[in-house]
Amino acid sequence: MDLVRFDGVTTVLILVIFFGVMLYIVRTIAKKQEDADAYMTAGNSVGFGISAGSMTATWIWASSMYASATSGYLYGISGPIHYGLWGALMILFIYPFGRRIRSIAPKAHTLAEVLYVRHGRSSQLMLAVSNVVGSVISLTSNLIAGGVLIALLTPLGFTHGVVAIAVGLLVYTVWSGFRASVLTDFIQVVAMLGVVIVLIPALFFLAGFPEAFTTGAANLTPEQSNFFSSEAFLNQGAPYIAAVLAYAIGNQTIAQRLFAVREDLIRKTFVTATLGYGGTVIGMGMFGVLALYLGMEPLDGDPNNLIPQLAATYLPTALLIGFFVLIIGSLCSTGDSDLSALSSIAMADIYGQNIAGKEKADPRVMLLIGRLTMVAATAAALVLASMRLDILDLLVFVGALWGALVFPVIASFYWEKVTNAAFTTSVVAALALFIPVRFELVDLVGPLAYAVDVLAILGVGVIAGLMAFGFFGLRTGRIVGVVAAVVVTPFAFGAVHSYAVLSASLIAYSVSTLICFAMSVNSGRTFDFSVIRQRTGNFDEKEALEPREDPLPDP
Amino acid sequence: DVIWLTIYVLVWPAVVAGILYVISRAFFAEWREARREGRDII
Repeated sequence: MDLVRFDGVTTVLILVIFFGVMLYIVRTIAKKQEDADAYMTAGNSVGFGISAGSMTATWIWASSMYASATSGYLYGISGPIHYGLWGALMILFIYPFGRRIRSIAPKAHTLAEVLYVRHGRSSQLMLAVSNVVGSVISLTSNLIAGGVLIALLTPLGFTHGVVAIAVGLLVYTVWSGFRASVLTDFIQVVAMLGVVIVLIPALFFLAGFPEAFTTGAANLTPEQSNFFSSEAFLNQGAPYIAAVLAYAIGNQTIAQRLFAVREDLIRKTFVTATLGYGGTVIGMGMFGVLALYLGMEPLDGDPNNLIPQLAATYLPTALLIGFFVLIIGSLCSTGDSDLSALSSIAMADIYGQNIAGKEKADPRVMLLIGRLTMVAATAAALVLASMRLDILDLLVFVGALWGALVFPVIASFYWEKVTNAAFTTSVVAALALFIPVRFELVDLVGPLAYAVDVLAILGVGVIAGLMAFGFFGLRTGRIVGVVAAVVVTPFAFGAVHSYAVLSASLIAYSVSTLICFAMSVNSGRTFDFSVIRQRTGNFDEKEALEPREDPLPDP
Repeated sequence: DVIWLTIYVLVWPAVVAGILYVISRAFFAEWREARREGRDII
């Protein structure tokens, strides 16, 4: 099946106009001498509209729309909910912790930077490395999505697409860093949401709905027709609920926005982004449900092709250009955020805290390191993309790994007794148990199976407890955690070990929590959280007092 | 039934439209304020 709808000239023209607009917008805010702190967090006082737009755009990426549609195609009408809702809650459930972190480190740049002051180097690097791995994988995945889309819809090849997107991303992001990322995110989110508003109803009617709901009903199994499908919940929803806090903690792109937005606007920003992401990703996931009703077979047997396939089959050229911009915008808004996240980790964590030290760090060297990091990250992502690895599976795996970090990281920002040894030991031990369960390296039979079940049930309690703790405090968190563990026990005990991905994810939470708590509770350690405010902050304050060169003239 | 399925599919663009309105309105208010004060919006 041939989906090519654009000629080469049209494709190049769309890409040149898209990246030209981004470059023009970035040039309006560019300075000859950028501020190193603004390069990472834009001065910690970004307004609601721009930060809500940026958070929404960053969390919506091409793969999230494709995966939501895949979920709809595989699990039926509840599939997109079980993908998009939990993805949206990742944004919602992190904000209470974000407010706490901002209150103790109002001018920090990365979560790992705060951990350095709280614990020391090993905890910092543990989180920073996991952030770097996640962002490089995400960047690679976005480049692959761009290459695949261009190869599907145009005569240009996969490599042309990947290189074009990578170069475009780097050119508009490298000079102004996070400021460029956030400002272009807003433009991209307006374009993306505008297209979604038109695209879903247009495709719905052009594909013959609502009549096709009747004529195509036979294409669905009873489970796919059931809005409360247990199959959809167990295979798609439950593993994602387990990942809600893990992705949010393990992702520097969220942390960067938590540090950038004006402190009193955190809740408003993150609630709005939750709704924006949920509406868009669940809405685009409906394409998978429509494809199921139409009895459509995915191109090359890959459900990830369903959205481009539906678009190329039913949409007129004008709307198809809109669809093309939607996908390019979604992968660029996430890709530029990944570049900014990686540069801030290199600037603040590697150079600022570990090489030069906070007092001796030179803001100009820092900026150079940030820009070189973006170039290196783009090159690395290009190499990985050329290998055509199943990069999304890798991201799901890394996301589950992040579960080991959740309790130690969150507890470190609230509880003075948590020690560096407790943090690192608990994370390493959780990973050591996660790997054999996740990859089924041991036969889970007899007492071992029951042990895994018990740890997984405790993991459910930890997740529910932490979620409630963020919003309602310690007492409610404890009650919700215990109740959740008790409620799932009759269903999970004796059964959950047979779901390797789910049980491994839950074990990562429970093991790190148990060990971190056990090693901390009698540690006798005290910690003055006000120290964090003093030892994290602007690297560029000395320069801010000196006269700056004029901004570039308006283009 | 068909009516509920139609609403279920088409409610999401409506949610997205609401969010787009909220963030656009806030953005342009911030943009006007930044222009009035003679600074960049970010």
